[in-house]
Amino acid sequence: MASKKIPVLVPDHVYVPKHEIISKKEAEQVLKKFNCKPTELPLIFVTDPAIVGLGVKPGDMIKITRKSSTAGESLYYRYTVEV
Amino acid sequence: MSVQTIKSIAGIRFSVSSPAEIRKYSVVEVTAPETYDEDGMSVQGGLMDGRLGTLEPGQKCLTCGNTAARCPGHFGHIELAEPVLHIAFIDNIYKLLLTTCRSCSRLKVTQEELDKFTKIRNMDAAYSLLSQKKIPEQILEKAKKTKECPHCGKTQYELIFTKPTIFIEKTELGGTRLLPVTIRERFTQILDDDLLLLGYDPTTARPEWFILQVLPVPPVTVRPSIILETGIRSEDDLTHKMVDVIRVNQRLKESKDAGTPPLIVQDLIDLLQYHATTYFDNEVSGIPQAHHRSGRPLKTLTQRLKGKEGRFRGSLSGKRVDFSSRTVISPDPNIDLSEVGIPKSVAMKLTIPEIVTEWNIDRIKKLVINGPSKFPGVNYIVRPDGVKIRLDFVEDRSLIADNLENGYLIERHLSDGDIVMFNRQPSLHQMSIMAHYIRVLPGKTFRLHPSVCPPYNADFDGDEMNLHVPQSEEARAEALLLMRVQDQLISPRYGGPIIGGLRDFITGAYLLTKDDTVLTVSEFSNLAMLGGYEGKLPEPVTKGKEGPMYTGKQLFSLFLPKDFNYVMTSKWSKGTKGITRDVVIKNGELISGVIDKSSIGAEEPESVLHRIAKDYGNVQAKKFLNSVLIIVKQYITHYGFSYGYDDLELPDKVRNEIQDKIQQSYDTVYDFISQAKKGTLKLTRGLSPEEALEAYIVNELSKARDTAGSTADQSFDETNSGRIMATTGARGSSLNIGQMAGALGQQSRRGKRLLTGYNNRALPHYKEHDDNPDAHGFVKSNYRDGLSALEFFFHAMGGREGLVDTAVRTQQSGYMQRRLINALEHIRLEYDGTVRDPHGHIVQFLYGEDGVDVAKSDHGEAFNINRLIESQMIIDTGKKATKEEISELAKKYTKTFNSRLRNNANEALLDSKLSKEGIETVCKKGLELYNKAKVEPGQAVGIVTAQSIGEPGTQMTLRTFHFAGIRERNVTLGLPRLIELVDARKKPVTPTMDIYLDDESKTDREKAIEIAKNILQTKISSLIYDSETNYATEIKLLFNPKKLKERGVSIEEIDQVLQSIKKFKTEINGNNIVLKLVDESDAPTVITIRNKVMNTTVKGMPDIERVTLVQKEDEWVIQTTGSNLAKLFQVKGIDKKNVRTNNVFEIGATLGIEAARNSLINELSSTLEDQGLEVDVRYIMLVADLMCSKGYMQQIGRHGIAGTKDSVLARAAFEITVPTIAHAALAGEIEHLKGVTENVIVGSSIPIGSGTVDLYMQVSEKK
Repeated sequence: MASKKIPVLVPDHVYVPKHEIISKKEAEQVLKKFNCKPTELPLIFVTDPAIVGLGVKPGDMIKITRKSSTAGESLYYRYTVEV
Repeated sequence: MSVQTIKSIAGIRFSVSSPAEIRKYSVVEVTAPETYDEDGMSVQGGLMDGRLGTLEPGQKCLTCGNTAARCPGHFGHIELAEPVLHIAFIDNIYKLLLTTCRSCSRLKVTQEELDKFTKIRNMDAAYSLLSQKKIPEQILEKAKKTKECPHCGKTQYELIFTKPTIFIEKTELGGTRLLPVTIRERFTQILDDDLLLLGYDPTTARPEWFILQVLPVPPVTVRPSIILETGIRSEDDLTHKMVDVIRVNQRLKESKDAGTPPLIVQDLIDLLQYHATTYFDNEVSGIPQAHHRSGRPLKTLTQRLKGKEGRFRGSLSGKRVDFSSRTVISPDPNIDLSEVGIPKSVAMKLTIPEIVTEWNIDRIKKLVINGPSKFPGVNYIVRPDGVKIRLDFVEDRSLIADNLENGYLIERHLSDGDIVMFNRQPSLHQMSIMAHYIRVLPGKTFRLHPSVCPPYNADFDGDEMNLHVPQSEEARAEALLLMRVQDQLISPRYGGPIIGGLRDFITGAYLLTKDDTVLTVSEFSNLAMLGGYEGKLPEPVTKGKEGPMYTGKQLFSLFLPKDFNYVMTSKWSKGTKGITRDVVIKNGELISGVIDKSSIGAEEPESVLHRIAKDYGNVQAKKFLNSVLIIVKQYITHYGFSYGYDDLELPDKVRNEIQDKIQQSYDTVYDFISQAKKGTLKLTRGLSPEEALEAYIVNELSKARDTAGSTADQSFDETNSGRIMATTGARGSSLNIGQMAGALGQQSRRGKRLLTGYNNRALPHYKEHDDNPDAHGFVKSNYRDGLSALEFFFHAMGGREGLVDTAVRTQQSGYMQRRLINALEHIRLEYDGTVRDPHGHIVQFLYGEDGVDVAKSDHGEAFNINRLIESQMIIDTGKKATKEEISELAKKYTKTFNSRLRNNANEALLDSKLSKEGIETVCKKGLELYNKAKVEPGQAVGIVTAQSIGEPGTQMTLRTFHFAGIRERNVTLGLPRLIELVDARKKPVTPTMDIYLDDESKTDREKAIEIAKNILQTKISSLIYDSETNYATEIKLLFNPKKLKERGVSIEEIDQVLQSIKKFKTEINGNNIVLKLVDESDAPTVITIRNKVMNTTVKGMPDIERVTLVQKEDEWVIQTTGSNLAKLFQVKGIDKKNVRTNNVFEIGATLGIEAARNSLINELSSTLEDQGLEVDVRYIMLVADLMCSKGYMQQIGRHGIAGTKDSVLARAAFEITVPTIAHAALAGEIEHLKGVTENVIVGSSIPIGSGTVDLYMQVSEKK
């Protein structure tokens, strides 16, 4: 499990892709597109160092724009859960 | 055909049996310890009571009236005189005792908290799922600490649990034993709501049922008795154990009735508990094992289920099969690549069912007349009424043949052209089982083409292989469509060919295609015919003494597709430092260059073979390979090729040269040693003087071996067989030649020279502290001349390590493979392109992020745009297209492409000199290939991934440490590192960081050193040269000024840090600090204080043990041993966003799960790449995504993915079988049978690949 203390946030680290909270409406569309329930998405903790700065709440959906070695860029979604 | 029922089990619910239930199911109360009476009849009320089912075939069951074949067996029961604890639930009993009040049996948590937990539990918000799972844990933690019940106010006592079955409560009156009866009473009162909070399902598992009052007696079918040859009946272990239980139970009952003293009764109760415990599990720690009369431990219930040979893994996940065969394999280069030669005797035992129709009746009649003992014949006939006739017992087969009618089923011998599945263990990847066509041959071994050895990893030193004959049309169709050898040419691991020419085929190809090879017309014609060439003969291009001659290249060209164009560099050209891009094929004609491993070799991507397979299809590639291999084989057979002692003879001049060069190196080594003694040896950062000296010596000696080897190698001319084999890639390397003709070189153990073994010497034959490299395992001799006795011993030492290494490695990689398979087997590709587990949890939104199947890709790319352009160039006419035209066309066709592919295509097209039409053709072709390369729904991407990562594991080295010349740090590499990564360990064995500096400091060495000093952990112990301790009053620390300066620490700073420890007052005294103890204390305390002081960090960051500055392209980079990201980010002067560590877990904690995923991908790829193993990134991505899909890093193994699977059976079949089932029972879990293992266990088809498809029917609603 993720550690509780987060000393310094480095959101622009080369390993950290772009994380953004997406609106409820967009989230609905994502769920509809993949025909799934929120819990069936990959998860992310509210305390995850990459998103704590975004003012995230449990239940939010995070859109992650990854750099991809096969596709150039790819989208990934994670569902925020309590720790 | 009979109607098959597919999937009749909807699910399996696990629960704990209540005593009432056990009694209800019971057909007999077992009271008699005897099994059979003197007449051999089963005793009524005994363990073999006829009502428990029947074993003997003729006998009828007294309960159901069926015979042995149909009677399922029936349970009985034993009424226990005293309740006993169920050992499988003992941990749950303990936890329940801890969490509930001893008086009112409520949870020892306040009502408010209970309400809070209930609220969380009942919350249906999806995000609180994880919080819900943690409730039982939290309640346990809170309840443990409670001293007084918040509900009834009663005092709670400490509970002592003595494993395995004794609970003692510590009251004011001393310890009282908690008897099962008491525990049972307490549990009966626990409220259902409370149980729900603890994760129990009270409807299926009340905790009082964990205390057994009745013991179910399994039916006799579960514990059949065996009659030995001597006629003595031998009972099953379970029966023996039950007898023990009944005996003690009876004695206990009698003693209780007779009013025996309670102490003796208690002893009997304990004995009953012991027997009940060992009945369930005979490997419980803390109690002696129950033994059979012979002294062998009994195999009781748990032992039956557990482990590799247990019920789950041994009998349910892996089943025995009919229609299979196993024997030794041997090579046959004359058969087709896709064939397997089988002995006639095997062909006559294995059969294929065939239904008689009007089209085959004549043929079958002949077969029937041949019968079972004449090939090809028939072994059985099944009449439409179901009667099976064994032809061995039929007198007149022609009569039966005459009576054959349509609809009869015959089981005929295997014959040429039938399809079978061929397999060699260990089956590490999908190519370990392939479909071959049968070729019935004389002899007693299975014959296979040497070129299919690589996928099976087979050789002919006694290997055996298995053969399976598919029996249904569906199975045959599937084998034919998916499993044939030609469909496995391309390995899904890296998208290149895994099958191809090897060994002598390569040598032969070289000999045939080298520039001076000429063939007479008759030789040429014979070979062409052998290769199956049917076209017109080309014109001979040269002339010899005997008239017109063909070249070898012409012969090879016959089998190339006519429109094939290709340019590449041959291995031979690289080896002999010849010209690059020497192999030129134009319009199916080999113009120049030689054909060697890089053209037709196995495991060679981007080769001629690969191109043919990609551009012309697998069938064409197989045909090409077959033809080429057979002519090449024939050519080399006639040419004559051998390698022997003579081929390794060196002229004296070269021998002397080698000796001289070795002696020179020895002199250099002596020079190093004397320099080291004088202290003038140039030290390398990060290494102690001894280490540095050793590194220099090792380096020098390896140079000596290399020069000796290459001198020998170079002295052979190009026609030397050894050199031909080494340069063409057929077998061996120049290193091998060097070792045979030059010198063997340094022998090593654990990556070090042979330094110890005896006192200061490696062998007793040398003097102590001998500096001569000979004394430490440097072998000057070569294999040809032979080794001296001492050299031989050193060589054997190194050789032994190799053997041990292999043995250990196979085990480790085997277990890793098993874990990977278990974690990934159920992952498949869905119709919407997502990768999910069978419960719908998404792992990836698009497979490999681009949806391309590696097996259908071109070495990892959807298609090779440059290849397309190149081949178009040759036929292209017309003027070059303008930029605008190209962009427009590219835009039109690349709409569906992902950004990287689109950019690549655009760039390549813009660079090309094609006409507009040419561009359009390329685009069309590209789009078509792209669409073809996409993964298909249902694809078992998980299994392929697991195999693609697990299989190369077997080829990795085990060496933990790696000294790359004179490098500064040790890093774990190879298999141990790979295992460490998939284990998701909290801390790697060798944590290390690469710290890049900000623009200001990265070019400035001084600044870099300053930063490095701030990072390196400096403890007081490393700054002092001595300490003086006066145990009564003070500790004196004597600091070394040189070290203080080196580390950049001042006395004042140290003093500052020491202020935090309150045990003493400090006093600075020049370069010393005196610690005056505040309280007087005994010596051990003072020692503790001293140790604490010594370990105090005065500067730098914890865990960073060593730092080294490395220059990378005029930029200073700090490399560390030890890793501490969180602290590092607080340091100034570093480039925070570029810091790397190999501790993936730490990245997860400081940078988040997505960063951890990226770092995991990087680490996995570099580990594999480092070993020269090619694995496509898509697989690595899938593993990383799966490991990170729950928001934290999950291990591939029992504590991670395999342990948190939704399916009970899958978990039980992996590891920790019995506790898994026990937990499933108390939680009332339901097995939905959606995954792979579960369905294998229950025997239905698996939901992967062709099993994904199901037929649904829309039933219209009633109106």
